Amino acid sequence: MKFSRRSLITLVVLGVIAASLYYFFSTRGVTYIWHWEKIPEMLFYHGSKSPEDPTPRLHMGILMIGFMLTLKISIFSIFFAIIIGTIVGIARLSDEPVTRALSISYVELIRNTPLLVQIYIIYFFVGSLLRLSAFTAGTAALSIFAGAYVGEIVRAGIQSIHRGQMEAARSLGMSYAKAMRYVILPQAFKRIIPPLAGQFISLIKDSSLVSVIALADLMFQGQQAVARTYYAFEIYFTVAFLYLVMTASLSMATQYIERRLAISD
Amino acid sequence: MIRAVKVCKTFKTTDRREVKALVNFSTHIKKGEVVVIIGPSGSGKSTFLRCLNRLEEIDSGEIIIDGVRITEKKVDINKIREDIGMVFQLFNLFPHKTVLENVTLAQMIVRKRKKKEAVDTARDLLHKVGILEKENVYPSQLSGGQQQRVAIARALAMHPKIMMFDEATSALDPEMIGEVLDVMKKLAREGMTMVVVTHEMGFAREVSDRVIFMDAGQIVEEGTAEHFFTNPAHERTKVFLSQIL
Repeated sequence: MKFSRRSLITLVVLGVIAASLYYFFSTRGVTYIWHWEKIPEMLFYHGSKSPEDPTPRLHMGILMIGFMLTLKISIFSIFFAIIIGTIVGIARLSDEPVTRALSISYVELIRNTPLLVQIYIIYFFVGSLLRLSAFTAGTAALSIFAGAYVGEIVRAGIQSIHRGQMEAARSLGMSYAKAMRYVILPQAFKRIIPPLAGQFISLIKDSSLVSVIALADLMFQGQQAVARTYYAFEIYFTVAFLYLVMTASLSMATQYIERRLAISD
Repeated sequence: MIRAVKVCKTFKTTDRREVKALVNFSTHIKKGEVVVIIGPSGSGKSTFLRCLNRLEEIDSGEIIIDGVRITEKKVDINKIREDIGMVFQLFNLFPHKTVLENVTLAQMIVRKRKKKEAVDTARDLLHKVGILEKENVYPSQLSGGQQQRVAIARALAMHPKIMMFDEATSALDPEMIGEVLDVMKKLAREGMTMVVVTHEMGFAREVSDRVIFMDAGQIVEEGTAEHFFTNPAHERTKVFLSQIL
């Protein structure tokens, strides 16, 4: 890799900032004793879990268990958000006034109320009516929330495709649904990958809010670990880093997909 | 083959003015006939084409194609459109599909042909329009003339009974107009029923059976291309022809 002069300057500036921060805290007499050595066992540890199974094995630590749950809830929510968003986006452009009004109401209702409130309502009200588990309620809340934003993105994507594409597809005898599926949506999705990626990165970070309904996600497990050990700095830095791993991987994956799809440009 | 009876169509502009695109427009196009429609911009020629496959809905009157009154609400318009090929001014190829996929897509999902049959048909037609060597290329890598020839092949792949051309050469660089017109001429000589909106009078003279001159949503004058070249009757026709020739 080649470093340009500009990236060298950036590194120098960052180094200066880091050094002055270190100087600031060390002269302030912050006498915090770091316990970074306790972190690895919160990710993975080798040992036996219970007396019934004495043979030592490699187990996931508390933070890793939380990481997996956050990953799972994010993947499920992204999947459902795409489905909800596509339906809402198409409904928003319907000729049918009732369909259009429903879609607009959904988007406005969800976008203009806090996610935290929605999570409580879905968990405590809808969840107890339908006997949903915390995981189902959390996934539902996140999907419904992100679905509203994805709906607006999909709508903008569809509208950005030239009118002639729909006309060409229809003039070949395709129904509206077929034209959407084979001609309009593939082009629209390609175009909306960057805003979708942003939306899903937000979703991964927002998923930390489900810790309030006692879902043992990464944030929840982090809080538990801090309560037990008081290593707040090390644990929250690690939690932040683990979120960063997920969001950065998503960014890189979308950039890869974007490059792959660029061949027809 | 095509009969239009007293067709009226009015558009509302964004500032709520009404523009009459077609006013009691009637005509009859026979099977195998090549009809060229000329006229100043805004005279309703493109609107007429778009009404024939109901990309625009007419306000009153009726259009009968191949014995079917297509302007009735209960008609399955997708079935009608399968038999009417349309070529657009801006090509409207599907940019996310290769040339070959552009020509096979509707064959497979509308005509329900097997992939192999669709590909064979597509290759035949791409050969016919002289662009077979580009079958795996995306539309953005083709010139305008090449794109328009692919668009013609895409329409022909449905084996339509009628082909409509909506200013198919107007967006092309001058040196590419010829290659597209050649394909259209070939098609006309094979006996295809064609409705062509164009300003290419050379094309009209060479292959058309009839030329219709439209202005303000009505037929001003019609006759053979020769008639228009030698003795156009109306003043408006003469003025228009002097501008385009």
